Amino acid sequence: MFKRFRDDMKKYWKYAIYSSKAQLKSEIANSYLNWLWWILDPLCFMLIYVFMFGYVFKSKQQYFAIFVFIGITLWDFFNKSLIQSVKVIKANKPIVSKVYIPKFILILVKMGVNGFKMLISLLIIVAMLIVWRVPMTYNVIYIIPILMTLVVLVFGCCCFLLHYGVFVEDLSNVLNIVLRFLFYLTGIFWNIMDRLPSPYNYYIGRCNPIAFLLTSARDCVIYGSTPHRKLLLLWFVIGLIISALGVRKIYKNENSYVKVI
Amino acid sequence: MEEKHAIEVTDLVISYQNLKKTSIKKNLLHFNRQKADRFVAVKGISFYVREGEILGIIGKNGCGKSTTLNALAGIFSPDSGTIDLHGHSISLLSIGVGFQREMTGRENIILSGMLLGFSEEQVKEKEAEIVEFAELGDFIDMPVRTYSSGMYSKLAFSITAILETDIMLIDEVLSVGDQKFKKKSYAKMKSLISNKDRTVIIVSHSLETLEELCDTVMWMHDGLIRRIGEPKPVLEEYVDFMEKN
Repeated sequence: MFKRFRDDMKKYWKYAIYSSKAQLKSEIANSYLNWLWWILDPLCFMLIYVFMFGYVFKSKQQYFAIFVFIGITLWDFFNKSLIQSVKVIKANKPIVSKVYIPKFILILVKMGVNGFKMLISLLIIVAMLIVWRVPMTYNVIYIIPILMTLVVLVFGCCCFLLHYGVFVEDLSNVLNIVLRFLFYLTGIFWNIMDRLPSPYNYYIGRCNPIAFLLTSARDCVIYGSTPHRKLLLLWFVIGLIISALGVRKIYKNENSYVKVI
Repeated sequence: MEEKHAIEVTDLVISYQNLKKTSIKKNLLHFNRQKADRFVAVKGISFYVREGEILGIIGKNGCGKSTTLNALAGIFSPDSGTIDLHGHSISLLSIGVGFQREMTGRENIILSGMLLGFSEEQVKEKEAEIVEFAELGDFIDMPVRTYSSGMYSKLAFSITAILETDIMLIDEVLSVGDQKFKKKSYAKMKSLISNKDRTVIIVSHSLETLEELCDTVMWMHDGLIRRIGEPKPVLEEYVDFMEKN
């Protein structure tokens, strides 16, 4: 299976990249402010959250705007990729029913699109760090393994969602509810470590991978501390395992998908 | 000289079973909703196609012709049996590779080509030829969703016709576009088919086309091969059979 995965990746890698690019292009081609939306979108949401939680609910978090922005950036990537992957086969029906394509490539295309948007948001974060003169430490480089872990985890989850999304019609409704719940358990605009009563904050902060990754990302980027490295590695390995199982599941079943949709 | 086989199919069985869509509610309400009806579309067929041969498949609706083609193209997986393409590239020329509606025609050409196993550079080389053949003019840089259905199928046909693969599967001989394009595409297809190196499988209901183009005709009935052989006798028997039933 690993060999097949490698061969397929080699063969379809370029397709995935080209397709992501074309999708990004087509997204902006028909809008007024075109690529400005990639910046405006996260920026506006940040302003809303900063207004709501910074002023209305008076959050005491240091560098609150950046704190929120990192949260939105990583969460959006996770959230959008998962939601899109449920319907990705149906959305690509014209392709899937006409030619063979390893179905996880369709996930990679979506992740490419969302990842590009995440990258832009990360650049904005860099700009904000400079403007606010946030003191930097070498711990910043931990953002790279954190993002890698995020990507692997998202890919693994998407593989399973893609598979079950074909057969279970109302999976997206369930997923929306689960994701909303997870959204509040992840602490996009508050620090779950402070706000949740102990010992729950400890459990959720470690067992909810997104919450863990978010907290780690903020810690290393804004507050200059080292993330929990063993736990990070553990989540990375778990992500790899989920991805491997997901790809196997897809390989086993992918040629039946067309019969259903 | 030893004859080479381009396609070898042995005991191919394809069924549509227990793959019904379900929802969580249905699952909760009917715990043992077993025995989803199993519909066997292809019931164990074996045949081979020599390199350069043109095989026609005929049969009434629902006899498994298209299912067989889809399986050959790698879109369906066989329930049992094997399909050996001996490493040839294959494309299904029905209404083309699917398009992404939001993207431009040009982008779709590249994407489709890459899905058929060509590199970006190879497709770009042929791009001009495809654009010209499709006669879309300036529309080629517009999103595909703005195309009329005729333009859509013209582009689809041009892509699969000009990016040539070793084996071509043709589902229903195409009649695409207006009179002029129809003539042109038919001529193009004929020249593609008559290329000695190309292996072609045609599914059609048109007896004249099959008789004119094919070396061999296979008659499928209820998921099985009823006759396979020289076009003329097979087709005559088929016509006889259809008139009686």
